Amino acid sequence: MNEFSTWDILRNLGFGALWTIGLSLTAFVLGGSAGLLLLTARMSKKVWLQRAARAYIEFFQGTPLLMQLFMVFFGIALLGVDVPPWLAAALGLTLFSSAYLAEIWRGCVEAIPKGQWEASASLAMTWLEQMRHVILPQALRIAVAPTVGFSVQIVKGTAVTSIIGFAELTKTGSMLANATFQPFMVFGFVALGYFILCYPLSHFAAHLERKFHAPAH
Amino acid sequence: MAYSFDFTAVAQYHTQLAVGVGYTLMLTALGAVLGVTLGTLGAVVRAWRIRPFAQLFGLYVELIRNTPFIVQLFFIFFGLPALGLRLGEWQAAIIAVVINLGAYSTEIIRAGIQAIPRGQIEAAGSLAMTRTQIFRHVVLQPALQKVWPALSSQIVIVMLGTSVCSQIAAEELTFAANFIQSRNFRAFETYIVVALIYLALSVGVRALLNQIGQRFVVKRRPA
Amino acid sequence: MLLRIDGLHKHFGANHVLKGIDLRIDEGQVVAIIGRSGSGKSTLLRSINGLETFDDGLIEVDGERLYAGQTDLRALRQKVGMVFQQFNLFPHLSAGQNVMLAPQVVKKTPVAECETIARAMLAKVGLAEKFDAYPDQLSGGQQQRVAIARALAMQPKVLLCDEITSALDPELVNEVLAVVKQLASEGMTLIMVTHEMRFAREVGDKLVFMYQGRVHESGHPKDLFASPQTPELQNFIGAIN
Repeated sequence: MNEFSTWDILRNLGFGALWTIGLSLTAFVLGGSAGLLLLTARMSKKVWLQRAARAYIEFFQGTPLLMQLFMVFFGIALLGVDVPPWLAAALGLTLFSSAYLAEIWRGCVEAIPKGQWEASASLAMTWLEQMRHVILPQALRIAVAPTVGFSVQIVKGTAVTSIIGFAELTKTGSMLANATFQPFMVFGFVALGYFILCYPLSHFAAHLERKFHAPAH
Repeated sequence: MAYSFDFTAVAQYHTQLAVGVGYTLMLTALGAVLGVTLGTLGAVVRAWRIRPFAQLFGLYVELIRNTPFIVQLFFIFFGLPALGLRLGEWQAAIIAVVINLGAYSTEIIRAGIQAIPRGQIEAAGSLAMTRTQIFRHVVLQPALQKVWPALSSQIVIVMLGTSVCSQIAAEELTFAANFIQSRNFRAFETYIVVALIYLALSVGVRALLNQIGQRFVVKRRPA
Repeated sequence: MLLRIDGLHKHFGANHVLKGIDLRIDEGQVVAIIGRSGSGKSTLLRSINGLETFDDGLIEVDGERLYAGQTDLRALRQKVGMVFQQFNLFPHLSAGQNVMLAPQVVKKTPVAECETIARAMLAKVGLAEKFDAYPDQLSGGQQQRVAIARALAMQPKVLLCDEITSALDPELVNEVLAVVKQLASEGMTLIMVTHEMRFAREVGDKLVFMYQGRVHESGHPKDLFASPQTPELQNFIGAIN
């Protein structure tokens, strides 16, 4: 009754993994861009912008990713549009990542000593010029390690999108487990797949973390 | 817009929601106690480099931290029966949470232990304390104090993660949400309400852990 | 008159730190502000380029006016340079780039010209050969001299120095003071908060003694040191000598 060879299972999981990678990259790039906007709002001098950004961040850090995906999925559906799972998955993960990345980066910006702001201010730079030439170049350096670290969370987060029907690695695994009656092997391979994607990123993040105390240039 | 929101359609299911909240909190509490205990054990073994357990724990930490929780859960619930280990949905959920949190807290607590200055241990040694006494009072206690905020954050993250346990039919809060929306056909409202309940739980659990930290971990009277 | 301060008041919460400061400074004057910590001297200095806000009063530098609560400080700050106790060099830029940055970004001066300016300014503080060195490769004294060059590159009308030798090892203090002395001899207007009394007496044209948020006594340093009029200044000088 079992017409799936181990090779068939691996090949199908491989396709699923490609979707996992694609979704991760999308969420990372779009989430990063949105996170940058969010960071600007969060650090803005306008109080209402600051509050709105804070509320957004607290909401997305204080609720399950699965709830966020459901809300995006059923929220867009309310507009009368048929929502393909990949769209809901990409949008949900983007919202999720932007909140976390904005908060990580805010920590990095706030780690830059006050004297750097004062020195650049005393040279008549505007806020944007200070950010662009003095604060961000330094903040970026310390942000690299935690940002790479968070990319691991994004890859793992994509697994939750299997629940709204996006056929990435975990969803492919579930379907194969049902079809082959070999859940132990299939989920073992699925776990291995994520490990292969995540471990190098974790390792790289840890390496960058150690390098962080090196000179600033 | 033609659509009109109806939150009363969610409110009438308050009993299901309350039961879901109860199960989610229970799963979190049990997972936190057992997971942090496992993590403490792992941290000690790792920090003291006790062979071969230090290596085993190292492998365990890397495996868990580099795979998604939902895959760990599926592996335990769907995969292990193949080895003759048949688990109920609650058993599987609790085991998954403990194993997951155990790995993260191993790393968090180990970092705390390794941040204890050598001088503290030498000072304790010079006071004729035994190795166990030194470890308990001079190493573990301050290490836990130091990492308690990080540990608290991780516990909240794990609580939010238990949302996927609905997929193995463990009847926690998200399971309740899925049930309700299948009855009232008000999916968006239902998930918004449940998301806000989760948000309140996050705030509450964080505050509670803060209290616990101050009373039992820091043990410092207000100055 | 280059700089005028009228009725400057500032509160930190309930704490009234500046209680009506009036000050006149002429072009080319070297002014030393002294006083105990908490007397308001640093706050006064930092108000002059808007690093501290104030609640009431007026500051005018070379025709550029600053009122309480004003947020547009760009024009004023181009006329007022500042050197900090902790140097505050930009660690990700070389000494030369530190000096070039503001002319390039704020004044939109072409890069080649910025480099010429930067080289000239670094030469002026005796660090021509350190153009490509990064801050963490320089001694404290050298970093502070780069910071001075960085401020000078904007061609300010007045240079504020906030305890610029306090963070330096004793053997590095003189190289920085020598640069300041040279600037003074070239006619630069300088306002410095300082603990270097000997330097204030030798180089200064005007001494301002702050006490509890007010200008308690001011005049030519040689007169003030020789015959302080108030018991507080007598006490202060006595405590230092």
